[in-house]
Amino acid sequence: MAPPPPQSNRSPSPSQPSGKSEVSDLKLQLRQLAGSRAPGTDDSKRDLFKKVISNMTIGIDVSSLFGEMVMCSATSDIVLKKMCYLYVGNYAKVNPDLALLTINFLQRDCKDQDPMIRGLALRSLCSLRVANLVEYLVGPLGSGLKDNNSYVRTVAVIGVLKLYHISATTCIDADFPETLKHLMLNDQDTQVVANCLSALQEIWTLESTTSEEAARERENLHSKPYVYYFLNRIKEFSEWAQCLVMELVAKYIPSDNSEIFDIMNLLEDRLQHANGAVVLATTKVFLHLTLSMADVHQQVYERIKAPLLTQVSSGSPEQSYAILSHLHLLVMRAPYIFSSDYKHFYCQYNEPSYVKKLKLEMLTAVANESNTYEIVTELCEYAANVDIPIARESIRAVGKIALQQYDVNAIVDRLLQFLEMEKDYVTSEALVLVKDLLRKYPQWSQDCIAVVGNISSNNVQEPKAKAALIWMLGEYSQDMHDAPYVLESLVENWDEEHSAEVRLHLLTAVMKCFFKRPPETQKALGAALAAGLADFHQDVHDRALFYYRLLQYNVSVAESVVNPPKQAVSVFADTQSSEVKDRIFDEFNSLSVVYQKPSYMFTDKEHRGTLEFSDELGNLSINAETGDSVVPAQRVEENDKDLLLSTTEKDDVRDPGSNGSAYNAPSYNGSAPSATSQPLADLAFSSTGATGQAPAPGLAIDDLLGLDFSVGTATTPSPPPLTLNPKAVLDPGTFQQKWRQLPISLSEEYSLSPLGIASLVTPNALLRHMQSHSIQCIASGGQSPNFKFFFFAQKAEEASIYLVECIINTSSAKSQIKIKADDQSSSQAFSTLFQSALSKFGLP
Amino acid sequence: MLQCIFLLSDSGEVILEKQLTGHRVDRSICNWFWDHTNSQPNSYKQQPVIASPTHYLFQVCREGITFLACTQVEMPPLMAIEFLCRVADVINGYLGGLNEDSIKDNFVIVYELLDEMIDNGFPLTTEPNILQEMIAPPNIVSKVLSVVTGNSSNVSDTLPGSTASCVPWRTADPKYANNEVYVDLVEQMDATINRDGVLVKCEINGEVQVNSHITGLPDLTLSFANPSILDDVRFHPCVRFRPWESNQILSFVPPDGQFKLMNYRVRKLKSTPIYVKPQLTSDGGICRLNVMVGMRNDPGKTVDSVNVQFQLPPCILSADLTSTHGTVNILSNKTCTWSIGRIPKDKAPSMSGTLVLETGLERLHVFPTFQVDFRIMGVALSGLQIDKLDLKTVPYRFYKGFRALTRAGEFEVRS
Repeated sequence: MAPPPPQSNRSPSPSQPSGKSEVSDLKLQLRQLAGSRAPGTDDSKRDLFKKVISNMTIGIDVSSLFGEMVMCSATSDIVLKKMCYLYVGNYAKVNPDLALLTINFLQRDCKDQDPMIRGLALRSLCSLRVANLVEYLVGPLGSGLKDNNSYVRTVAVIGVLKLYHISATTCIDADFPETLKHLMLNDQDTQVVANCLSALQEIWTLESTTSEEAARERENLHSKPYVYYFLNRIKEFSEWAQCLVMELVAKYIPSDNSEIFDIMNLLEDRLQHANGAVVLATTKVFLHLTLSMADVHQQVYERIKAPLLTQVSSGSPEQSYAILSHLHLLVMRAPYIFSSDYKHFYCQYNEPSYVKKLKLEMLTAVANESNTYEIVTELCEYAANVDIPIARESIRAVGKIALQQYDVNAIVDRLLQFLEMEKDYVTSEALVLVKDLLRKYPQWSQDCIAVVGNISSNNVQEPKAKAALIWMLGEYSQDMHDAPYVLESLVENWDEEHSAEVRLHLLTAVMKCFFKRPPETQKALGAALAAGLADFHQDVHDRALFYYRLLQYNVSVAESVVNPPKQAVSVFADTQSSEVKDRIFDEFNSLSVVYQKPSYMFTDKEHRGTLEFSDELGNLSINAETGDSVVPAQRVEENDKDLLLSTTEKDDVRDPGSNGSAYNAPSYNGSAPSATSQPLADLAFSSTGATGQAPAPGLAIDDLLGLDFSVGTATTPSPPPLTLNPKAVLDPGTFQQKWRQLPISLSEEYSLSPLGIASLVTPNALLRHMQSHSIQCIASGGQSPNFKFFFFAQKAEEASIYLVECIINTSSAKSQIKIKADDQSSSQAFSTLFQSALSKFGLP
Repeated sequence: MLQCIFLLSDSGEVILEKQLTGHRVDRSICNWFWDHTNSQPNSYKQQPVIASPTHYLFQVCREGITFLACTQVEMPPLMAIEFLCRVADVINGYLGGLNEDSIKDNFVIVYELLDEMIDNGFPLTTEPNILQEMIAPPNIVSKVLSVVTGNSSNVSDTLPGSTASCVPWRTADPKYANNEVYVDLVEQMDATINRDGVLVKCEINGEVQVNSHITGLPDLTLSFANPSILDDVRFHPCVRFRPWESNQILSFVPPDGQFKLMNYRVRKLKSTPIYVKPQLTSDGGICRLNVMVGMRNDPGKTVDSVNVQFQLPPCILSADLTSTHGTVNILSNKTCTWSIGRIPKDKAPSMSGTLVLETGLERLHVFPTFQVDFRIMGVALSGLQIDKLDLKTVPYRFYKGFRALTRAGEFEVRS
């Protein structure tokens, strides 16, 4: 079924010498058979047809036989018919004129006695996809939908969808969607019903952009009567149709908890289905239904664990992989639930690397006090693996566990054993890890340094590992006996060092070493600075120059710049923001999970829209993490000036920066931000939302720069009733800072009016409403049923600011409010104001 | 939804192409796919989901044939993969094996099958029983039949009754002279044993396979003596859920012929039937290898087809291995296979010899993993036992047969 090759390819290539002559041969033979009625004609026809189709399959253009094929198609033999349909379906699009010839016999076949032929003919007729033949489709489709055989009806329903794609207006004019809707709700055969559902979903989705009615119908599919109708028949559906229904149910919002439990009870046995697709679709329904009930949600995890693990171990490698990707997502969300099942994530020798990689990440995630020892033992086995990338990954996994765990003792020993394994890739990975470990647990320096000191820098080739080794040489030069000399020999080989990263580290390390052991290092430092100044790499050159001038200015100032006392790193930055993870979770049972990216990051450009920044976000935070100890700090500086970055990005970047470098002001508490900034990172700060709130774009930029902070100056405090400044402005950075600093002064829960809930389809609706009450939104996000907002307001004639975190659950019609205020005494008054504003939402 | 399915040969040639929607997928995607997979390291070649610049691709590989599906829209990945697996299984069943030639000889049947299995990118009928009623398989029996009856079409004349029946997996009314049901327990033991001989992980994945030939619409119940040992189960759609939930009884109307009734998993087994003890000691550029194999817990039946396979590390120049029982084979890709066959009762077989390391290497750093294969007829090692099988609703006498088999799955011993 190849598309006809372009003209240039049609000349017989050496590999297909007989192509053209064979086609004309076939043409001749077909012509002879066309009129023949002799016995045995069908058999010879069949052989010829087979030849034609096999030519077509291997990519030879046989469209020139179209006429002859149609002539030969007058037959009662169903296999001949099928081959003919196949041929016609393939070439009709390029031969619209000849396709007209086939209409006649296809239409006749649509009235055949045999339902199978009726169905096949109808399917072929709809697959012609020639726009000017649509008029011939309507009749047979109409009778096909009314056929008393369900096979024909299933074909006809899909035929309607095909017709819609050829000519939407013809399909709508013939009122087919209405007929399908009727069939969907009344047909005995579940396959017909399922096909109607999939066809209508597609048609209404496409129509809804232009037609309000179609949009309404589409919404209706997610309404209670429809969903219950499908759920009640779920066991009659084929396994694939069940998946379709589950997708629909996952979008349904139950009105109360008992409904949720009813649905889950009904669907529970689907988790035991042999088809993994059904199991996963059911899992998605369960997870989404229980999102608002934390304890039940956790029980769901417990319930789905066993079926998913069974699927992993009993399916083919391809199925295992798809399930594992989903399991990976769940494990990352709730590692503690899987911590006793860690043995399932042990790698088998024969598994492909992409599966092992997922498993390693899961093993890392589920490690806790009770199983760390066994997991690390297992991981160490992989380090001796023949598969080098996996061996590297597993060493990294050991390191990650060490960074997140309590029983570091044993792990450090293991890592140090790696260093003694004398395999270069193992040594390299281990070096990088030991460096990270020392940044978090400086107390281990004695043990580590003893081992690291024995490693000859000549045996370390990989830039990252070399950089790590050099960093340690610089950082612990007072403990490492021969550090200055090792550094010196490295400096001597400056020209052979190809990696700029290593050269940068070398410069810094020599500097640090110099501050601690000046007489021994002086010579090396001079050589390093000279080599650095002559370096062609801009960064290296600049850093060397910078150091040189610093030293010239004042050595002790230089020391305080290059080697100040550091705090231990508490948390290393996560490469993926939790907002992204939540989004992937929302798209459970889709490609997003396999790619570990939400769909907007990899589907077509046109779907990207305003959320595109998140792409950069990923890159940025990765950069920040991989950079050395000085670079992130500089990068953060730049980012702060970068006005176009949204707040999420800044938040994400700033954390790794400040943690990683620990160059911040002493007042900065290293452990606090990661905890308190979490709710902010959860949110999607759409870039339109961020700028749209400010009165004018110009003002917004001023705000971000922090130039124009408050409008009014302090006057006498206005007594209640509280009035708010309608034009309050606050930049996201200040918001975050305040949110961190201020205690929660009020935490309340309100009920929302049903009207309000109904209007809250997108977060934006509420924003506009609240704005009209002088309460500004700084960030919003979430999807039905859970929305999250951050609001702020400013007292009129005063600089006092109120901050509000508002979580709205539309299914329970509740909103949870946390208020923080500069002036705590008035927060109750503000709460009343906020509540009244919220309660007016949705009212006409 | 899927837009196109390709079948590729092991050299990347398109054997067959089936367009499913109006959005025709150009064949050039296969070239992209082939170049892409060949540029990947070996262990990444068969990654099931790949993003190409224009499409998302799903691949399933069976016997050198790649089943490739393309889509441009978001869809459940497992659905596509599961479907491709079914396609592979069904074609395999129809053609009695998968290879390029058999597909090329029977591509009309393959087209017909795909036509019924998927329409407009959405899977329809994938139950092999039903498909066989719509499209007769090209076996010798049907060829003989067609000669005798003069009906040369391999499409049955009527539509299967079951498309309209309330038991969609079963033919409406099969008739047999001898009514019989065979139930097989087939178990696979996955085990990992570490270098100290400790059982790190051991579990069994089992299947209950049923072959049923019963006239009419039989209602069967199957019960186990010890269902509590099962950790997790999953069922063929024919199994009713409630009786299992309340009494652990399998109640079902079986499809006609061979099918998989249920899968189960038994975790945390305490021991393996055989032991494999590798010992490696290296010194001065030479490594001595010694592997012992023997019975640990006699299952009461003979342990058959015992096979130990391992990959020699790349740093080994040559190997000289001999065994006291069975044969040792070393292939050019450094895969070493020791076929033992049946373990003798009196003496534990062993294999020993020396491995010569690369010059400059004193000791061995990369240790091979030994993959063990065995088969035990007549025993389900999980201990699962069938209690009884009853037939309701149909008044025939029928013959019941039970069998059990355990074989090694991923059974690996580290050294």
